[in-house]
Amino acid sequence: MFTTRKRRAGIVLAATVSAAVALTGCSGGGSPEPGATFDPEAEVTLDFAFWGNDVRADLYNEALAAFNEEYPNITVNVSFLGFPEFWEARQVEAAGGNLPDVMQFDYSYLRQYSENGLLLPLDDYLGGIIDTEGFEQNILDIGVVNDQTTAIPAGTNAWGMYTNPQLAEESGAPLYEGGGSWEDYNDYLIEASAAASANGVYGGADWTGRIQNFELHKRAQGENLFTDEGEPNFTQEEVAEFFALGDEIRSEGGSVPGQQLEEIYPLSAFDSARAVTELTWDNFGAGYLGNLGEGYTELGLVAPPTAEEGSQDLYLKPSMLHAISAGTDHPEAAATLVDFLVNAPETAEAFGTNRGLPASQTQLDALSLEGLDAQIQEYEDSIADRLGDAPPVPVVGYGAIEEEWRQIGLELGLGTLTPEEGAERFFTEMEVVLNS
Amino acid sequence: MTTAGSQITSPAQLEVPLVAPPAGGRRRSLKLTPGRIAVYAALTVLAIIVLYPMLWLFLSTFKPSSEFGQNQGLLPESPTIDNYLKVIEGIGGIPLWRFFSNSLLLAVAAVVGTLFSSSLAAYAFARIRFKGAGIFFAAMIGTLLLPFHVIILPQYIMFQRLDLVDTFWPLIIPKFLATEAFFVFLMVQFIRNIPRDMDEAARIDGAGHLRIFMSIILPLIKPALITSAIFTFIWTWNDFLGPLIYLTSPENYPLPIALRLYNDQTSTSDYGATIAISFVALLPVLLFFLVFQRFLVDGVATQGLKG
Repeated sequence: MFTTRKRRAGIVLAATVSAAVALTGCSGGGSPEPGATFDPEAEVTLDFAFWGNDVRADLYNEALAAFNEEYPNITVNVSFLGFPEFWEARQVEAAGGNLPDVMQFDYSYLRQYSENGLLLPLDDYLGGIIDTEGFEQNILDIGVVNDQTTAIPAGTNAWGMYTNPQLAEESGAPLYEGGGSWEDYNDYLIEASAAASANGVYGGADWTGRIQNFELHKRAQGENLFTDEGEPNFTQEEVAEFFALGDEIRSEGGSVPGQQLEEIYPLSAFDSARAVTELTWDNFGAGYLGNLGEGYTELGLVAPPTAEEGSQDLYLKPSMLHAISAGTDHPEAAATLVDFLVNAPETAEAFGTNRGLPASQTQLDALSLEGLDAQIQEYEDSIADRLGDAPPVPVVGYGAIEEEWRQIGLELGLGTLTPEEGAERFFTEMEVVLNS
Repeated sequence: MTTAGSQITSPAQLEVPLVAPPAGGRRRSLKLTPGRIAVYAALTVLAIIVLYPMLWLFLSTFKPSSEFGQNQGLLPESPTIDNYLKVIEGIGGIPLWRFFSNSLLLAVAAVVGTLFSSSLAAYAFARIRFKGAGIFFAAMIGTLLLPFHVIILPQYIMFQRLDLVDTFWPLIIPKFLATEAFFVFLMVQFIRNIPRDMDEAARIDGAGHLRIFMSIILPLIKPALITSAIFTFIWTWNDFLGPLIYLTSPENYPLPIALRLYNDQTSTSDYGATIAISFVALLPVLLFFLVFQRFLVDGVATQGLKG
C-alpha cells in the first residue's frame, strides 16, 4: 500500500521531471582546453553523490580520506541515498541545473542524461587527468553515448549462477555444475525440487521471470534486446515462446512457488535458503551471504546454461560508473576525483569488490582477492570465451521494463497469467514506458 | 513507518471523537451483560488484528538481519539487541540523535509555522471583507487540487536561485506562508461558526482586528488548532520527498531518509537495522498523538459551553 503508492508517485515524478530535463538540459558546459591539467594549489569544493548503504558510506569515507592526503585543497562534500531515492533527487536537480559535480552513475540512466547534455564529455581528459592505462578499450566503450565518453566504469560484473552447496547437502538436492543447455537446467530443477521440496527447498526460482535470461537467449542468436537506436529487437511471439520454456518446471513443481516468492520479497528464494541455485549478477554474492546468515559460509559460482554452445551470450556490464555534471565549475578537479576513484590503488583497497570487480587493471592488481571475491574473479576468467561485446547503452526506462518483466514472471508462477497473456501485457507496458 | 502511516494519517480516525463524543454513558454502571461481552470480544479480536503488524515490527527489531528471509514468524529465533546498538551508532559517522533532532526541528517549526500563518489567513478570509476575497479564497482551495509533483520543480528552482538548497529553510518558509490550504480551510469553517456578535461586542469595547483575533477567535478555535497541529506534526515527521529533494548533506537528513540508508538492493541490506530505526522513529509520533488527542477531545467537549 504505502510502498506502491510511493513508487507510483516516484514514477509520476520521474516522468514529469524527465520532460523538464529535456527542456533545460541544453545548458552544457564549455569544452575544456585539450590536455587541461589540474592546478593543485587552487582551493576547490566539490559535491559528490552516490547511492549505497551505511557500509558503502564508510568505504567512501576511507577512500576520500586517502584522496585528501594527496589533494588537500579539494574539499569533497558527500551526499548519499538509496538507489531509487538517489535518482529521484538527481532528476529534480537535473531540471534545476544543479547536479552534483561528481556522481556515481548507473548504466540504465546513462543514455538519458548524456543525450540531454547533462554530463560533461570526458574525451579531452582521457589519457590526461584521467589515466586510461589500466582499461581495456571495450570497457571504456561502455561509457560512450553517441561517440562521446560521458562516464568511466568503476567496476564490472557478469551474469552468473550462484549455488548453495551446503543447502544442497542438507536438503538432499543434487548440485548443478553450471553450463549445459536450458533443457538440462529444467531437468535439474525438477529433479532437485523433487528430492528436496519435502524440506522446503527447491532447485531454484523460475528463470523465465528474469529479462536477463531472455537477453541471453537473444544474444545466443547473435542479437541484442534493443537495437542501437533503442528499438525493441524482439516480437511478442518470441516473448510468449520464452515464457513457455518455463511451463514444464512450473507445472511439475520444479521452482519455488510464486506465493513464497511474494511473501519474502525483496529477499529472493536464494537469500532465504529456499533455493539451491539462482541466476543473477555475479557481484550479488556478498549480499547473499549476509542475508543467509552465519549458517552458510560458502557459495558456488558457475556459468549459466546457454541456448547455443559456443555463442557469446554473456557480457561484462558496468556495476557502476562515474560521471561529471556538465554544469560543474571545476571540471579539472572533478576529473581528478574521478581518476582517483577509478584508478587509485587506495580506492581499490578501501572497496574490495563492493563496487563489483574493479574495471581498471591498476586497481585489480592492488587487490589480493580471497574467498568470494577470488571466486568472482575466477568466474569472470572462466567465462572469457563466452563474453561478447556489451549491448548498446540501455534504453531510457529500462529499469521499469525489467521490473515489469519480473512482475509478470511472478504472476506466471502464481498461475494468474498464461505465457501468451504475459507476453501481451509486457508489450503493452513496454510501449507505455518507451513512448513516455 | 509504514504501519504508523496507515494507522494515524487517516482523517476519519481523528474525526471520530469530533462527531461522536462519548455519549452520556460515563455515569451509567458498567454491567457485564452477554451482549456487552460479545461486543468486547469482537473489539478485542479487531484490536489484535490491527495491532499485529505493530507487534511484528516490535518483535522483529530483535531479529538478526539474516533471519528475515528464513523466519517470517512473530518470535525471533535468536534474539539480539545488536540492531539497536547499530542504529544508535548512526550512519557514515553521523549519530542517530542528529537525524532525530533534524526531524524534531523540522516538525516543530512546521507546527508553529502552520498554526501561526493558517490561523491568520483564516481569520482574514472569515471576518474581513477585502477586495477579491472570493477569488483569493477560490485560488486557495484550488491549490488543494495541485499535486505536489507539479509545484516541486518551480519551487526547487526558486529555492536554488536563492541559494537555500541544503538548508532547512525550503522546508520551513512555506509553512509560515499559509501554503497548507487544508488547514486554512478547516479554520475558516471553524471561525465562520463563531457568532459575529462576539466580535462586535469586542469592537464596541474598542478592540481592533489583532485584539479580536488574539482574545476572541484564537481561544475559540482551539480544537481546529490542535487538529492542525497533530496533522502537521505527523505529516512533517513522515515527509520523505521534501527533505529528499532539498537536503543533500547526510548530516541534515531527517529520520525517514536516514532509515532507508540501511537498505541497498544493489549490494547488501541490513533489514534488522531498518526495522529497529523504523520502530524508534515511530515512537515520537505515537507519543505526540497520545498526548494531544486528549486535548482534542477536551476541546470538542468544552466547545458546547460557549453558547
